[in-house]
Amino acid sequence: MLDPQRDPAAVAVSRGPLGACDDAALLGRIVHGDEDAMAAFYREHGRVVLAQVLLVTGERVLAEEIVQDTMLAVWRGAGSFRGESSVRSWVIAIARRQTRDRLRGRRLRVVDDALLADQPSSGPGPEGMALDRAELAEVAGAIRELAPAHREVLGLVFGTGLSLPEVAAVLDIPVGTVKSRLTAARTALSRILNEKGQNR
Amino acid sequence: MNADTRDARSPHVDLADLIAEVTGQPVGDPARQHLTDCEHCRAEANRWNLVAGGIRALAAAAPEAVTREAAQPGRPLQAGARALTASRRRTLLAAGAAAALVLLAGGYGVTAALTRHTPAPLLTAVSGCSGLEQARGTLEQVHGTSLVIETASGQPVTVTTTPSTRLSLSGVSLQGEITDGTPVTVAGFGSGGTIAANLVAIDVPFRLRLAPGLVTVEGTVADASTAGFTVVTSTGTRVPVTTSGDTVVTVFNPTLDRLPVGATTLAVGHAGPDGTLQATIAAVFLESSSGPQVNGHYDGPGGCSPTSLLELAMGLALGG
Repeated sequence: MLDPQRDPAAVAVSRGPLGACDDAALLGRIVHGDEDAMAAFYREHGRVVLAQVLLVTGERVLAEEIVQDTMLAVWRGAGSFRGESSVRSWVIAIARRQTRDRLRGRRLRVVDDALLADQPSSGPGPEGMALDRAELAEVAGAIRELAPAHREVLGLVFGTGLSLPEVAAVLDIPVGTVKSRLTAARTALSRILNEKGQNR
Repeated sequence: MNADTRDARSPHVDLADLIAEVTGQPVGDPARQHLTDCEHCRAEANRWNLVAGGIRALAAAAPEAVTREAAQPGRPLQAGARALTASRRRTLLAAGAAAALVLLAGGYGVTAALTRHTPAPLLTAVSGCSGLEQARGTLEQVHGTSLVIETASGQPVTVTTTPSTRLSLSGVSLQGEITDGTPVTVAGFGSGGTIAANLVAIDVPFRLRLAPGLVTVEGTVADASTAGFTVVTSTGTRVPVTTSGDTVVTVFNPTLDRLPVGATTLAVGHAGPDGTLQATIAAVFLESSSGPQVNGHYDGPGGCSPTSLLELAMGLALGG
């Protein structure tokens, strides 16, 4: 059993992550030009936004630029946040728009909803088995080879802490389409893993 | 939570529930029960968990660069074709410098730790859970969103966390957290309508499944005192609860700055390419001296999901 010895210091530690209220309060301060609030906002969201943008673009320098553009947009446009979504999904939506603008300008593979294979897979089958056999590093490598839209939906769902409805709002598609896109992404991922496995 | 637990065309759990399970969001009771009973759905959850691990691995490799460069005013923010204007850079640096410096300082510490540790032997496979590994030891440092755990051999392991990492903090010294209005799940032995609490879990993000024989009640705390409290359930039933010096309190999703250096820590997740552990869960135990470990053949009834792992960690907090 446990050692009943107490640790009073542990009880005294302050409580609570930056929640929705704190985020909104930060934005309120940013509206008034509070640089400390912007710094706190950066701490809270910068890393997640960068990871997501990097996942979609695959280019670190470009991703960093986009994050900086995004934070600049937050700095200038914090007053436009109307509280209709979480702050996290709001900032990620800004980053997504910035990403699309930049990719469109560079004629890279633009996220094109119409071209996506949003068909759900019929089940695990050989594709599921490919995942069953895969190691984490192989999966990470295969994710890099996915189409941007598939990387994007996987990153939003598993890397940002957003719920499926929030991801749907960011992508501006129904939740059902998020789900079918997720499944399509996993099917594509499994295919890549299968091909790699056959080439080994 | 997904209200429509099952896909109408399938006997299995809906994708939304599988995703919720993997990402640590609430899962409804019917779905949870189905996940417990259905091998197919557990396998599906494990596959999604691996995909999520891949995303976490990529995310963990991403974050330092922007902060390091942003913290160096004299250095261009990128060498690419589209340089930032001086005014934009000044604005961003002014706004982000404090955060960047904090993260940068953390980054150096983590890098130093990484150069000192030997990756593979410090992580132990979680038997029965493909791809999952564990690190355990004493919490040595918290750097931003990373933890450094010193193992029994004295070597540090860096554990990275993401928003989907499930954290828990357990200890008898957390009993002060039980105040009126707190949402709790209490588990203990029942007698004469009163529960003698072994465990009080605060803000539980899932339905707890604990050892047979323990009585569980969910609700809100009322009449809190040093000797116990009353749980008011959703139907208004009032259940008296007594606490003792052995009653463990678990707080879910504490901020990282709440995790005290020196506490026994267990992290389970996926090994990163650089020897880090990208945590699915991290459980911190304030008063456990023995050091928990997920060992042997772990084949929990809920599979290898974050929820199952956290339940296991909570069992360890109870000395199980």
